[in-house]
Amino acid sequence: MKEMKKLLVLICFTVLTYSGMSAQSYKLPEFTKFKLDNGLTIYLMEQHDVPLISISAILPAGAIYDGDKSGLARLTALSLKHGTKNFTKSKIDETLDFIGAGVNVSASKEYATLSSKFATKDKNSVMTIVKELLREPIFDESEFDKEKSRALVELETAKESPKSVIGDYFDKLLFGDHVYSNSISGTKESLESITINDIKNFYNTNFTPNNAAISIAGDFNSDEMKEIITSLFSDWKKGTSILNNLASQPIIKLLSGQVLLVNKDDANETTFYIGAPGVSRNNKDIVAIQVVNTLFGGRFTSMLNEELRINSGLTYGAGSRFRYYKNGGAFYINTFTANETTEQAIDLALEVTNRLHTKGIDEKSLSSAKNYIKGQFPPRYETVNQLSDFLIEMFWYDFDENYINDFEKNVDGLTLEKAKKIINTYFPKDNYQIVLIGKASEIEKIAVKYGTVKQVDIKD
Amino acid sequence: MKKLILLLLLFFNALTYAQMTAEDVKTFTLKNGMKFLVVEDFSIPNANMYLFYKVGSRNEYQGITGLSHFFEHMMFNGAKKYGPKIFDQVMEFNGGANNAYTTQDLTVYSNWFPISSTEVIFDLEADRISSLSIDPKMVESERGVVLSERRTGLENSPWRNIIQAVQAAAFIEHPYHWPVIGYEDDMKNWTQEDLERYFKTYYAPNNCVVVISGAIKLEKVKELAIKYLEPISIQPAPPIVYNKEPEQNGERRVSVQKDVANPYLVIGYHVPEAQNEDYYALSILSSILSSGKSSRLYASLVDEKQLATAIYTDYSESFDPNLFYFYISANNDVNETDLENAIYQELNKIKNQGITEKELQKIKNQKLIEFYNQIETINGKSNNIGTYELFFGDYKKMFQAPENFDKVTVEDVKRVANKYFTKSNRTVGVLKTNVEE
Repeated sequence: MKEMKKLLVLICFTVLTYSGMSAQSYKLPEFTKFKLDNGLTIYLMEQHDVPLISISAILPAGAIYDGDKSGLARLTALSLKHGTKNFTKSKIDETLDFIGAGVNVSASKEYATLSSKFATKDKNSVMTIVKELLREPIFDESEFDKEKSRALVELETAKESPKSVIGDYFDKLLFGDHVYSNSISGTKESLESITINDIKNFYNTNFTPNNAAISIAGDFNSDEMKEIITSLFSDWKKGTSILNNLASQPIIKLLSGQVLLVNKDDANETTFYIGAPGVSRNNKDIVAIQVVNTLFGGRFTSMLNEELRINSGLTYGAGSRFRYYKNGGAFYINTFTANETTEQAIDLALEVTNRLHTKGIDEKSLSSAKNYIKGQFPPRYETVNQLSDFLIEMFWYDFDENYINDFEKNVDGLTLEKAKKIINTYFPKDNYQIVLIGKASEIEKIAVKYGTVKQVDIKD
Repeated sequence: MKKLILLLLLFFNALTYAQMTAEDVKTFTLKNGMKFLVVEDFSIPNANMYLFYKVGSRNEYQGITGLSHFFEHMMFNGAKKYGPKIFDQVMEFNGGANNAYTTQDLTVYSNWFPISSTEVIFDLEADRISSLSIDPKMVESERGVVLSERRTGLENSPWRNIIQAVQAAAFIEHPYHWPVIGYEDDMKNWTQEDLERYFKTYYAPNNCVVVISGAIKLEKVKELAIKYLEPISIQPAPPIVYNKEPEQNGERRVSVQKDVANPYLVIGYHVPEAQNEDYYALSILSSILSSGKSSRLYASLVDEKQLATAIYTDYSESFDPNLFYFYISANNDVNETDLENAIYQELNKIKNQGITEKELQKIKNQKLIEFYNQIETINGKSNNIGTYELFFGDYKKMFQAPENFDKVTVEDVKRVANKYFTKSNRTVGVLKTNVEE
């Protein structure tokens, strides 16, 4: 039960929840928001339960800006910790380790984040480091070379686990030429082409205050924190280049089913996604979509898990999720099964999807999904890092605290009639985009049933 | 979110926090021997219930390996009042979620629910603990599920393969010899009788500790426990596990073939159980070696020498003496023997020169932050209170842990490194593509 909070896990609401039977509805704790002159948005939320503080920063520096250097955003984020104007890399590592403070910098598809959690008493030393990491990295070349060679090895290692690589294959298939198909970790060729100058240029263009936000939640006094943060970040210069929103170009709608078969010679099971375009985070029906997905593939008794696991024992688990971005998203069913039951499992997953459309859902299962999603909601916002993450999510996707404060009301407001509309509008019924990772010699004949097949090898 | 507590706090010194103390854990035991630990916490309108059963793969023998884990699955497959599939349906309809896990020592069930559903949760648990029905049809489909669980674990992680091989070599007589998931052939051949006997023996109220944290009063928990769980009959104590692993008197080496980009290395040294006096020093030693980028092994092997891409050590709580693990993934073009020797070099430095006071203080600081992180959520509270109660014999040890870590000296760390990190006490496993050379 080690804490493993990924910063801003792209809001996979499949495990979201909370209770309608509860009289108290959950509200987001109070916070203040202000903007520095350079455009940097700041959120402060006091929480005094434990003597801890969490900082989250978000910047438009994700893989969509990689260009032809796939993996650039991720390597840039990692390189921020290779030393700064006043701290060497080892000084940073030693200082943070000594006080048990964590600082993680990572890149996702659309943005980069920095997250840090530390004891209240250490706020001055940690925040000074955080400031330098964001504003004054020096990008040491020998450290960069080590980071790059580790990244190349990790790329190879990831191929030993179908679950770690299937997402990238799927995004390529679904998003085609759109920047949402960009892989965060990159490819061997692209990583090899990245130089320290690429990193510096990417940093200079994308790590600027005007399109960024920092949130701080935890055990501090807001007035004092406002002063600290203002003194650390107000003279951070605005960026000069204009960042185009590369993701705003339309995602081409696919008019036929496609299958990408990824051969893995030593596979004993087939890992697969069955997907289609999804929705963006600011979709007006987002809560309703989450409720319907809860009962379709977002919990243990969901339609998918019931058929593929509980009734048939074909798999350890089956589910579905919506992955949201700013300008679009993805929907997919995911599961895995033994080589010899591959066809049975795919057919069953498609049959369940078909049933969602033809038979729909009933009042009882809708109530159950509503209760579940409401009942499991409050624990999502229990820790200071969950809260600081939520604040920068609000910033990035441009929604407000009413997402939380009206969550229960919005869940309750979903009628059976509206749910039918949601299914019809957002859940696919044809033109499935399918990725199969498995032993091609045993499953290639099955693949052709579901669309035009393209085959690659996991080792390529 | 704890607004009430926050108001009170304003009257106190800024340094005194609403920190949890041992007094915040209330306890009572039902007439049938079922022990309860309760933490009232009104920060969110939710609560949890963790049930710790003292049964794991340690209680199995060849022929029924994996049965503890399989049983964990069967506990969701129907009882007298709530038949097959109904347990989860009722729980989720009431806004609750659950999960469970099995280890070598324990089987743990957790329920997470809105406070309004508390009574339903008690009813569901009471039904399955008192009158589980083991339906042969459910046994068959669930067999497929655990076989898939085993397969997907092996498919997605080379570590599984090599860890199993190291355990099997390091433990010859003790049941830590086999994997928790079980042998594939045992998984296919469990009988109805095995299952029924297992349930009767181990799923007794007197073999279980229940931990509840959340927005509920102790009195309410007591009332529900008496109503729903006290009527379940006490059972004879389960047979004790008497096997002790004989002292290892020579290095053991295993290799495993799998197509991988680079070799994986697992090293295990026999070390004592959680209640041994060396526990705290060994736990600190593990952090010295691999916690953070300034740790000994990361700084040397990953950063400086670039022999490895990742390195972890693990020393976890257990009932019986277990292993202190090293997990290392080799870098490109690195000979795994060089990598292995580089590890021993680092261990020898600690054995000969010890560690610095500053390093020791670093780990103590980290342990304190870890403690805060654990008590930040109601789930962290329940899981940790239960862990200490089970493995250390008393939940109060959780609150004494910062103090117990603080007592450890640099000499203690050097002493345990010398005592346990010896060649004859270790098992080394290598997983790589070519094992014929």
